[in-house]
Amino acid sequence: MLKVPKHQVAGHEAIGGNLGPLIDDSGRFYKPLQDGERGTKELAFYHSLSSDTRLPDRIRRFFPSFYGSQLLEASDGSGLRPHLVLQDLASNHLDPSILDVKMGSRTWYPEASDDYIQRCLDKDRTTTTVSLGFRISGLQIYGNKESGFWKPSRKDVRNFTVDNVRLVLRKFVSSNSPFDSNVTPDCCFAHSVYAGPAGILQQLLELKAWFEDQTIYHFSSSSLLILFDKESVWEGRTPFAEVKLIDFAHVEEGNGVIDHNFLGGLCSFIKFISEILTDLNESTTEARFAEPDKKCLCNAP
Amino acid sequence: MLKAPKHQVAGHLASDGKLGPLVDDLGRFYKPLQGEGRGSKELAFYETFSSDTRVPDHIRKFFPVFYGSQLLEASNGSGLCLHLVLQDIVSGRINPSIIDVKIGSRTWYPEASDDYIKKCLEKDARTTTVSLGFRIAGLQLYEGKESGFWKPGRKEVQSFTVDNVRSVMRRFVSSDSSIGNENPDCSFAPTIYGGPAGILEQLLELKAWFEDQTTYHFHSCSLLILFDKESVLKGSTPVAEVKLIDFAHVLEGKGVIDHNFLGGLCSLIKFVSDVLSESKASSIEADVESEKPHNCTNNGNCT
Repeated sequence: MLKVPKHQVAGHEAIGGNLGPLIDDSGRFYKPLQDGERGTKELAFYHSLSSDTRLPDRIRRFFPSFYGSQLLEASDGSGLRPHLVLQDLASNHLDPSILDVKMGSRTWYPEASDDYIQRCLDKDRTTTTVSLGFRISGLQIYGNKESGFWKPSRKDVRNFTVDNVRLVLRKFVSSNSPFDSNVTPDCCFAHSVYAGPAGILQQLLELKAWFEDQTIYHFSSSSLLILFDKESVWEGRTPFAEVKLIDFAHVEEGNGVIDHNFLGGLCSFIKFISEILTDLNESTTEARFAEPDKKCLCNAP
Repeated sequence: MLKAPKHQVAGHLASDGKLGPLVDDLGRFYKPLQGEGRGSKELAFYETFSSDTRVPDHIRKFFPVFYGSQLLEASNGSGLCLHLVLQDIVSGRINPSIIDVKIGSRTWYPEASDDYIKKCLEKDARTTTVSLGFRIAGLQLYEGKESGFWKPGRKEVQSFTVDNVRSVMRRFVSSDSSIGNENPDCSFAPTIYGGPAGILEQLLELKAWFEDQTTYHFHSCSLLILFDKESVLKGSTPVAEVKLIDFAHVLEGKGVIDHNFLGGLCSLIKFVSDVLSESKASSIEADVESEKPHNCTNNGNCT
């Protein structure tokens, strides 16, 4: 039985009789081919990726698994339509906190139509895309069983300033209620989620190394999906933090040039995450000097 | 005695009675403050930068030394004008080959006027700025005593395609760089691009700084890459240098890295690395070829 995904934070949604992706109970995600070229481009990209021998395995794991395409009843009742069959990235998480970060200081590309370029340019300038080299497209932060998820609206997210982004990246890994806008985030989970050999930062650095070298694909308007399980950390288990690359409707050939647009944004994002860890290290050191007997209030190691 | 620089490849030129920089015989470069506030922005940058204790010494060496400002007779006869007094980067080099590379996939910045942004956008799309993350703003290649310098004009340089840029990066380090040659030998690549003091190593040092520093955003700045064949042949140091120049549009970083510059820098690093790897690969092939066993006949013919 196909149903609307519970944990979709950005992109077209199937609710309210709109055209959007669906999931099943076996960990598959069915994404309807978008109109015009975009759908076929995304399908072509997944085909190309699955047979590209130049891609090392440790990089392949950043991409959703691809199972081909399938004709299905569209969620908006418009009849049979081809759907991409992909791995449902949230399916092996319980109540994941998720960030969708659109990478690059420009979301347009030279080969696009003038109209498309202008629209992208406007959006890029009014969001943090131009200033930061990335923007948050959507997010949900798990509070607890009673409060559920804090999921700001598309509009709110689009209006995020650079300072809002800094704050959200800290709230993402904090034990404070995400609904409370007046409290300073405690960044309790920053070390378990961002740091360490399996942490977000390490995964981002692996991607960065690949982007400094690969000249095969230029990922315009693609996103990094960042997920982790807060409850897992509360219960003393691993947060299962993941970085995934998604949304390939506008991937162009690299033609011997690196994807410097994506790379610049990725480095900027890495700097923001690193700083949270550095700030924490500094304040922990200060705190230890000031009050050597005080312990951290949360269960983080 | 002040005169027009012999080796200026981009920017306003003092020749033909226009307003442009001048040099003296003591290694100083006098840059007239540009109009519409850009000049004072550049002066302000140099003043801030020279007293910025956060900049490590190994990064400071990439910037021209700043000696202050001085009132001088402008090169276009318009009277006394304030000039920046900088280190003349090419002084002491005989017949230097130079490339001026404007770094960044966009040369505009949000705070600029709509008009300025529009002009920049146009130029960025027309040149390799958008596609490569950098464009060549000017260059001169020394080809030898007879041929002298290949110094393409502004127009030609602005119409360079990605392939033209690749070709220039190869010719820059070739001994047979004449324009008709389709396969430049890149024979100087290991010495100029490679090695512990080579161009690549210097670019990587700059890259590490740009991945971290959030103080300055360098819009429309250039990397000047230069070497001279004489130094290569004599083995004198430094053989090749990278300098960051043109600071009329530097803005505060405000806690964000200069991702625009960094992206373009990484793209340039990839291009230089590729030339270096290709030159190493072809020299290994050549070595392998020359070591193959020969079959020789009695009269000395070998195959």
